[in-house]
Formats: sequence, structure tokens, C-alpha cells
Amino acid sequence: MASDQDLVVETVREILHGHEPFVLTAERSWDEGLWAALADAGLTGVGLPEEAGGSGGELADAVAVVRTLAAGAGAVPVAEQLLVAGPALVAADLDLPSPDEPLTVAFEGTVAAEPSDDGDGPGRFVLTGTATDVPWAGVARHVAVLATPPAGIEGAVLAVVDASGLTASRAVNLAGEPRGSLVLDGVGVPGALLDPARAAQLRARYALARAVQISAALQQVLAWTVQYAGERVQFGRPLGKFQAIQMELAQMAGEVTATAALVDAAVQALGRGEETLPLAAAAAKVRAGEAVERVAKLAHQVHGAIGFTQEHRLHHLTRRCWSWRDEAGSELTWSRTLGAALVAAGPDDVWPAFTAVV
Amino acid sequence: MTTDQLTLAPAPPSEAAERVRLEVRQFLAEELAAGSFSTHVDTWLSGVDPEFSRKLGARGWLGMTWPKEYGGHERTAQERYAVTEELLAAGAPVAAHWIADRQSGPNLLRYGTEAQRKEILPRIAAGECYFVIGMSEPDSGSDLASIRTRATRNADGDFVVNGAKVWTSNAHHSHYAIVLVRTGPPGEGPRGKHQGLTQLLVDLSLPGIAINPIRILDGGHHFNEVVFSDVVVPGDMLLGTEGAGWHQVTAELAFERSGPERFLSTWPLLAEFGRRAAATQDPAQLATLGRLSSRALALRQLSLRIAAALDRGELPDIPAALVKDVGTTFEQDVVDEVRRVADVPASLDSPDPLGRALAEAQLHAPGYTLRGGTNEILKGIVARGLGLR
Repeated sequence: MASDQDLVVETVREILHGHEPFVLTAERSWDEGLWAALADAGLTGVGLPEEAGGSGGELADAVAVVRTLAAGAGAVPVAEQLLVAGPALVAADLDLPSPDEPLTVAFEGTVAAEPSDDGDGPGRFVLTGTATDVPWAGVARHVAVLATPPAGIEGAVLAVVDASGLTASRAVNLAGEPRGSLVLDGVGVPGALLDPARAAQLRARYALARAVQISAALQQVLAWTVQYAGERVQFGRPLGKFQAIQMELAQMAGEVTATAALVDAAVQALGRGEETLPLAAAAAKVRAGEAVERVAKLAHQVHGAIGFTQEHRLHHLTRRCWSWRDEAGSELTWSRTLGAALVAAGPDDVWPAFTAVV
Repeated sequence: MTTDQLTLAPAPPSEAAERVRLEVRQFLAEELAAGSFSTHVDTWLSGVDPEFSRKLGARGWLGMTWPKEYGGHERTAQERYAVTEELLAAGAPVAAHWIADRQSGPNLLRYGTEAQRKEILPRIAAGECYFVIGMSEPDSGSDLASIRTRATRNADGDFVVNGAKVWTSNAHHSHYAIVLVRTGPPGEGPRGKHQGLTQLLVDLSLPGIAINPIRILDGGHHFNEVVFSDVVVPGDMLLGTEGAGWHQVTAELAFERSGPERFLSTWPLLAEFGRRAAATQDPAQLATLGRLSSRALALRQLSLRIAAALDRGELPDIPAALVKDVGTTFEQDVVDEVRRVADVPASLDSPDPLGRALAEAQLHAPGYTLRGGTNEILKGIVARGLGLR
């Protein structure tokens, strides 16, 4: 429900109007023009506090920006910046880079952090290792890295890396979005120690951000598919008049609506505080990933052969959804986490644990 | 736009609901410990226990949202939601009062006369008065408007009812039926047959009513055929407006289709499976528990939103149809998914409680996606909400 966010949604839509999605390539791996327009409008700092250099506003505003860009297949690291890396740096009292420059996250890989002895005092670490599956690697100017802490310390080190001097290996997801690796060769950076709970909450934030994107994209896919079924005529009737097609569209609507309800509830859990977030985010990510399976399949089925081409817009969202469900933890990863948590309270207490999730 | 009719505002968090939830949990733990009931699957169909229903009534957990002047407790839809989902999750015997509390009472509140409300609602809230749904007929299932049960007015202004209703759950334990009858001719056009339908409040002890059992797959007697032969129903037992039966039924179905019983019928199986996964710590079982739970959590959020919308006086019939379609599909999938990762043969005689729960859930499974409107009909309603028909 975005009633308070209507203005922000409208602004993002107007900007998107001048930046149609395109097929991402090695030469053009993100939408720099879209990013510049968003940054000019202050939208790349929404939800981040003004005193930290952000544009201010609520979590709901940031979610509205992310949802609108996801539905518009905007090739920019806004979800990473507004919902994950930005809030994490602020919460850890680390300096937020200028929101005008893209900031991303690196939570996978083999990066180890050791306290720095460069004489700059506490809060500095040396990072060594390879960060993998880095969204927008090579595009983002800064990276919030989650690294293994020094021996004997639990949790993780959150550090901010200036990526301008680093080379990113080229790898892309199914939608062509950069997902390469970054080699960190003893880089000295500011960082903060996160206890295990905060580290888990940060990973959950990333999962929830992807779930928010998926939910918004699937709602758009449904709308496109309903629209197409109303326009495409075969046997003298629009496709949408055939009962078989109606059943498929209703099934899509069920998936999309159920997913949106859970993702919204998980976002509200995040808004209330992060303690209850990990399981709510886990459930939302699993549900969203499952919805991708059925909704994308049926959307392509209804669209027919034209939807199977790069000429048609559908792939901008279906290819992204097929990737986003894998990223930040797949359904398998998070469903194991959720299942283990539900039985952790005791064999007879699955139901109380269930009702406490969200 | 297309999906607006499916979107509802989130339900506000409710501390009162969490308080009553804990009271119900405590009550259920005590009743289970005292052996007053045992957990089963799908108990809102099969678990008839008038004594248990009266206990719930005495605690103020029936008719919860109704005005106090009718025996209700003026509590919120979220509080009622918490109570009902706790009862369902525990597999408690709630079938006796379920229909009366869920839809007949709200129907009477909406359309009943003052005399009808004063006479009947306090008894429902006390857990003493039970209702059945008189909609489906032998030749009218999904095509509800084609019903043939007729009522004609006699010289005294009473209704004389002839016809038969089927799948009337627990009619042999119930006091009233709300019967959809044809009182006038259908109109012209494709929706013309929606005209001339009327709801009557029928006392099941009236002369001329025969209640014949219909057994379901596990041999259980819950369904009945109820035959009306020149049954004289007093004229003041008209419910609502003569000829407005179709509209009234549509409103009733929003209550019937959106509650937690549309995705929790097989929760007791999932809970039993959770016990197994807790013992084995098998990653595949834990993943299945997590995946099924995420689906149930999504349904719960949707269902809560509809409860809040009903509380606001809205009629979210399209989201309600959607919840029932997705929810009952989930109820069936629980059986299939659990089987894939727990190698336990289903049998009602199994020494393993998981085997018994699987058997109960499997033998009841075909009903989940049929009762209250088949999922094909529900998808048609959702398609209408999408603007396709």
C-alpha cells in the first residue's frame, strides 16, 4: 500500500519514462543515464538520514523507489544502496559515501578482515580475499563488504571499500546484470564489527530487498499478461475470453497477491526493528522465489512466441526474477533456515514459532 | 487497473489479539492434558463436540465480533481470527458451531429481523445452536443459481418448501439451515437466474424434513442429503429480502471463503511433520517445513487482511475467492510435499501419528478444493476481478 508514497512513485515513473529498459551488454552493463537522473532528483538517498548525507524519508519511501524501479526493470543498484548497504553503514556508524555514487554489497566469497596496524586507530581493517557474486561489480563506486572477522571473534566485519581502483571479473546473471568478483589484496578500509545477530539481520535485509524487487516485478508481469490477453485475438476472440487462459491468469494473480502480502508484512517487520527480521525475510524470500517459478512460466505461456524474444519487453522482468530468486539466498537456503528455526523451540512448538515469524 | 481489486490494506497489529491468543493456547493445553479432545486433521468438518463448543461459548470465544445485545462480545476481527486459527492449528473439535459462528450469525446480523437476531444469536454465541448451509443440490453444484428447491406462499403467508439440499455438513447435529430457494421466476439475460432467489431460516425439526447420511471417503458421516417435502416454514422466517437471495449468498461467501480454515485444515499434519523434522534434523525435511510454512505465512497475511476488510464493512468477495483457491491448493500440497520427504505409509491404523495424520489428510483432501465453491469457480471470480469477464 503506497498511498503515502504516491508522489515518490510518480516521480520515479516519470524518470523511468525517459529510460526504457535495454538488453545489458559488456559495453553497456547498467543504465548510467537513469542513475544520473535518479541521483539528480535525490532519489538515490531516499530513506537514508539527511545527517548522513541521504535525502531523508521513511523506509516505506525507499521501498516505494525500489519497487517502482524493479517493476520498470531499471538497471541500477538502487535496491542494494537504499535497502541494504546504505542502512547497514548508517547503523554501524560508518561514513556513508555520497548517495550520488552507486553503492553495492558483497556478502559472498572468502574475504577475511584483520585489524589494521596502519596507525589510523580503531575501526580500520585490512581486507584480503575474493568477494564473489557482487551485484553491480565494476559499476558500483563503493562496496559494503561483509568479511570474516579475525580469529576468535564471532560475527562479521562490515567494511566500506572504494572500488574505483579494483578490477571486477566479468560475470552476469540471467538478465545480464553484473555479478562479478572483486579481488581484495590487503586493502586498508574503515569497518565495524557486527555481532552474529546483526550480521544475520544484514543478510536478511539483502534477501528481503530481493523479495521486494521480485514482488514488484511479478505484479508488473501479471499486469502485462492481463493486458496482452485482452489485446491478442485468436479464433476471433481476445485470449482472455478463453477459460483456459483465465484459469492461468487467476493462478498468476493468486501467486502475486499472496507474495505481496507476505513481503509487505516482512517490510513492516523491518520497520518495527530488526530483531524479528531474519525469519520474516526468509519466509518472504522463499515465497517470492516460489512465485517466480509459476508466474514467469505462465506469463511466457500466455504471451506465446513473441514473449520469448528480445523484441518484447517481458524478458526484462522474467530474466531478472529468475536471477533474483537465486541471489541473496535461494529458496532452498532460506527454507532450511526457516524450517530449522521453527523446530528449534521444541517439537511441540512449531505453531507458536510459526505465528511469531510475522 | 487490473490488480486493484485484489489489493487490500494490511491488517493493523493487534495486542488484544495476541492476548486472547495466549488465553486460547492455555485453554487448549489444559483441555488436551485433560484428554477432553485429541488432535485431528480437518476438524472444522469432522470434529463435532457440543460440549467443547459450549466451553468456547462460555469463554466468550463465539460470536466474538457481534454486538453485546445479541450475546456477542464486540471484539475485533483480529481477535476472532486469533481464536479461530489457534483452534484449527490444535485440531480441536469445532465443527458443531463452526458454520453458525462463521457465516450464519453474521448473515443474521446483516439481514435478519430483530426477532430473529434476539432469538438465535445469543444461542449461537453460547455454543448451543448450530447451523448448516442449504445451498448445493443434487443437480446444482457449481451452478448454484440453477437450484430447484422451491418455496411458495400459502394462504397464511407461510412458505411451503419442496426440494433437496446436499453436502449439508452435520445437519444431523444442527438446529437450523439457511436454505436458498426459488420463490420467483428467473429474469431475462445471462444473469437473469440470479433473480427470484430467497434465503429462508429453516428449523430442522420441522415436519417434512428428512436427513439422510452421505459418507465421505474415510467412512465418516458429516455430509447429508436434506429433503424437504411440503415443509411449512413460517412467513416470519424469511431471511432478508424476498428475491434478494443471490446478493445475500454472495455476501455470505466472503465470510465463508476467506478464513484460516481455508489453509489450516491440514496444519495438524504439518505440525506432526514438524515433530518428525525436529527429531531427524534432516535437511530435506527442514527445507520442506520451511517452504510450506512460507506459503502458509503468506496465506495468513492475506486472510488477516480480508478479516480486517470485513471488519470495516467492506465486501472483499474477489480476494476471498483468491484466498480459498490458493489456500486449499496449499492444504492438498501439504500431503504431497510431506510424503516426498517422510517415508511413512499413510494408514488410519498406523502406530505412527504421522502415518495417521497423513491418512486423515489424504482421505479428506479431495474436499478441500471443492467445498465452498470449486477452485475452478473461484478462479473464474478472480478472472472477473482481473477484468477478463
